[in-house]
Amino acid sequence: MSATALPTLTPKDLATDQEVRWCPGCGDYSILAQMKTALAALGTPREKMVFVSGIGCSSRFPYYMNTYGFHTIHGRAPTFATGLRLARPDLQVWMITGDGDGLSIGGNHLMHCIRRNIDIKIILFNNEIYGLTKGQFSPTSRLGTKTKSSPQGSIDNPIRPLSLAISAEATFVARTVDIDVQHLRMTLTRAAAHKGIAFVEVYQNCKIFNDDVFAYATDKSVKADSILYLEHGKPMIFGKDRNKGIRLNGLHPEVVELGNGIGVDDLMIHDEKVESPALAYALSRFVYDAKDPKSFPECVGIYRAVEHPTYEEQLDAQVESVIKAKGRGKVQDLFKAEDIWVVE
Amino acid sequence: MKRFGVKTMQAEDEIAAVGMAIGASFGGAVGVTGTSGPGVCLKSEAIGLAVMTELPLVVIDVQRGGPSTGLPTKTEQADLLQAMFGRNGECPVAILAPQSPADCFRMTFEAVRIAIRFMTPVFLLSDGYIANGAEPWPIPRLDELPKITVTHPTGPNATSTDKLHENGTGEAGKFLPYKRDEFLVRPWAIPGTPGLEHRIGGIEKEDGTGNVNYEAANHEHMVHTRANKVANIALTIPDLTVGGANEGDLLVLGWGGTYGAIATAVERATRKDLKVGHAHLRYLNPMPKNTGEVLKRFKKVLIPELNLGQLLLLIRAKYLVDAVGLNKVQGKPFLVSEIEAKIEQMLAMS
Repeated sequence: MSATALPTLTPKDLATDQEVRWCPGCGDYSILAQMKTALAALGTPREKMVFVSGIGCSSRFPYYMNTYGFHTIHGRAPTFATGLRLARPDLQVWMITGDGDGLSIGGNHLMHCIRRNIDIKIILFNNEIYGLTKGQFSPTSRLGTKTKSSPQGSIDNPIRPLSLAISAEATFVARTVDIDVQHLRMTLTRAAAHKGIAFVEVYQNCKIFNDDVFAYATDKSVKADSILYLEHGKPMIFGKDRNKGIRLNGLHPEVVELGNGIGVDDLMIHDEKVESPALAYALSRFVYDAKDPKSFPECVGIYRAVEHPTYEEQLDAQVESVIKAKGRGKVQDLFKAEDIWVVE
Repeated sequence: MKRFGVKTMQAEDEIAAVGMAIGASFGGAVGVTGTSGPGVCLKSEAIGLAVMTELPLVVIDVQRGGPSTGLPTKTEQADLLQAMFGRNGECPVAILAPQSPADCFRMTFEAVRIAIRFMTPVFLLSDGYIANGAEPWPIPRLDELPKITVTHPTGPNATSTDKLHENGTGEAGKFLPYKRDEFLVRPWAIPGTPGLEHRIGGIEKEDGTGNVNYEAANHEHMVHTRANKVANIALTIPDLTVGGANEGDLLVLGWGGTYGAIATAVERATRKDLKVGHAHLRYLNPMPKNTGEVLKRFKKVLIPELNLGQLLLLIRAKYLVDAVGLNKVQGKPFLVSEIEAKIEQMLAMS
C-alpha cells in the first residue's frame, strides 16, 4: 500500500464561482449539495469527472460543479455522454436530466442509452412539471394536473421513469428523494460505484410551479405509510407501526397487514440482484393514493443492481480481438488493399 | 477500421450519431458522422451546438435528390445552402466539396485538418455521382502528406494582461477555455486534464472565460468572432486555379461532382480557340481568397449546377457578378454536350 495518500476532495473543491440560478426553495440545491458530498468521498480525481446535461432547470447542474461539464441540447444528453464514454472510457460520466428533457424529447435516446448498458450515471430530477419554461405539464405529471397548458387538467397518461428504465433493462435502478439527504447521498454513492448504466429517479420539488407534489414522501407525519424503503435481503415492510408489508399473491404484489396469520415470513424479500427485472418492474408500478387506506406505498431505494458487460468493454474487446487476429493496422497498407497498378 | 484505432458506432438515429461524434470530440477524439440530405436536417441543431462550443466535427453529406425523401438513389447537389444556412442564428461552418472520387481522399483529409486546426464543424459535401463513381487514384505516400498536429493544453493559459470582454482582465494561473490564438481558435482542452476543469454549453458565453453571459456587447462580439474564425480558414487553403483560358470571355465555375463534365466541355471549347476557362471550387466556405479576382478576369460567368442555383446565389451575393446558371434537377449528372451548348449560347450573346 502506498505511503502517499490520494489528495482528498472536499465538497468546497467541487463548487464553482457561478451564481446559482435556481429558485429559493428548489429541491435542486439539496441534490447539488449531496452530489458534492458524495463525490468528494469517492476518491475519484476531479479531472476525471464529467457532467453532461440537456436543457431544463435540472440541466443547469454542470455549471455548478467544478468538474468538466457539457450543457448540451434538449433531450440529447445521452448521445453526447455515450460518445464521450466510447472515446474516453477512463472518465466517470454523469448525466443530469429531468422529466421533461429526459422523457419528452429525450425518451428515445434515454431508452437506447439504457439498453446498451453504457457506463453512465443518469440522474433524472423528476418534479412532474416543465420548470424552466414556467409550468407546463410534463410526461410524468399526474392525470388531471392543472397547468397553463392544461387548464382543464392533463389528459396525458403519465409514464413512470423507473418502469421505462426497467423495461429497457437498466442494470442499476433507484429512486430517492431530494431532501432525504442521507438516502440521496447513499444512492448517488451506489450509482457512482456501479459498473454499467445507473438510472436514478429523484423526487424533486419545484417550489414555484408544482409545489408539494411529493409532500407525501417528505412529510414526516405521512411518509411512513406512503413510502416503503427497499433494503436488499430484507422483507418489504412499511407503515407507522411497521405492521404493513408487501406479499406476492401469485404474480401480483398486494398490501397486507401483519397479524391474523400473516407473518414477516410471508412477505416479499427485496432482492436487488435477481436477474429477471419482472419484480422490480412490479414495484415501479406502485402509486400512493392518500384516499385509500389500503394504498400501495411508493418504493424508495435501490430496485435493481446487477452486473452485465458494458457496451464500452464489449467494444474494446472487439477492437482488441481484431488487432490480435490481424495486427495493428498501418495506413500505408490500407492504401494498397485494393487493385493497384503501376504507371510507367 | 478497428485495427486502425477507429471506433465506429451505429446509432439509433442521425441525431444520436452526431451527438455521439460531438461527445467524442469533447473527449479529444475526432468525431465524424455521415449521412445524406434529410439526415443533415436532423443533425442541424447539434451542429449548431458544435459551432457554439467550438469543437471539431466532420459531417459528410452525400447529396441526393430532394427535398424530403426525394430520390434516395439519384444524384443532386442541392444541400449547399442547407450547409451554409441550415441552422438557427448566425452559425458559420466550413464547407468543403470533393470534385471526383479520387479527390475524396484529399478533401476528407482537409476536412479533418480544418476541423482540428479551427475547432469547428466542417461539412464535406459529396454526391451520389461521386459516391457511385470510380477513377484512377495516384496512391500518396503517407510521409508526403501534410502533418496534422494535435495539441491539448496541459496548464493554465491566463495572464494578468488578458483583456476579458466586459469583465476586466485575466488572472495568471487560471485556465481560459475560450482564449483565442492568432486565428481566433480556442484551445482543445480535454476532460481528464488536471487543473483545466471547465464547462461548455450552447448558451452564449463570455469570450475567454466561457461563463454564461447574456450581455449585449459580448453577444455581438462573439457572433463576429465565430464568423471571423471561420473566415480565417481562407488563410490556410490553396488559391482557386483556372484550367483552359486564364482570362477571357467566359468562366465556367463549378463545384462537386460536375467537375468531369465541365472540364471536358471547357477543353473542347479551348480546342476551338474559344477564350473559356474552368474553375472548380473545392472550398465553399470560406472560398479561396483569390476567388473574386478570378471572377473579374472573365467577361461572363456560367455556373452549371444540379440544383436551382445555389452556388449561383452565393457568388452573386458575395462578389456582385452577374453570373448565370445552367440548372439541371433530374437526378442525373450533366452531359458534356449540355454544358457545351450553354457555353456556345453564352458566347453568342453580347
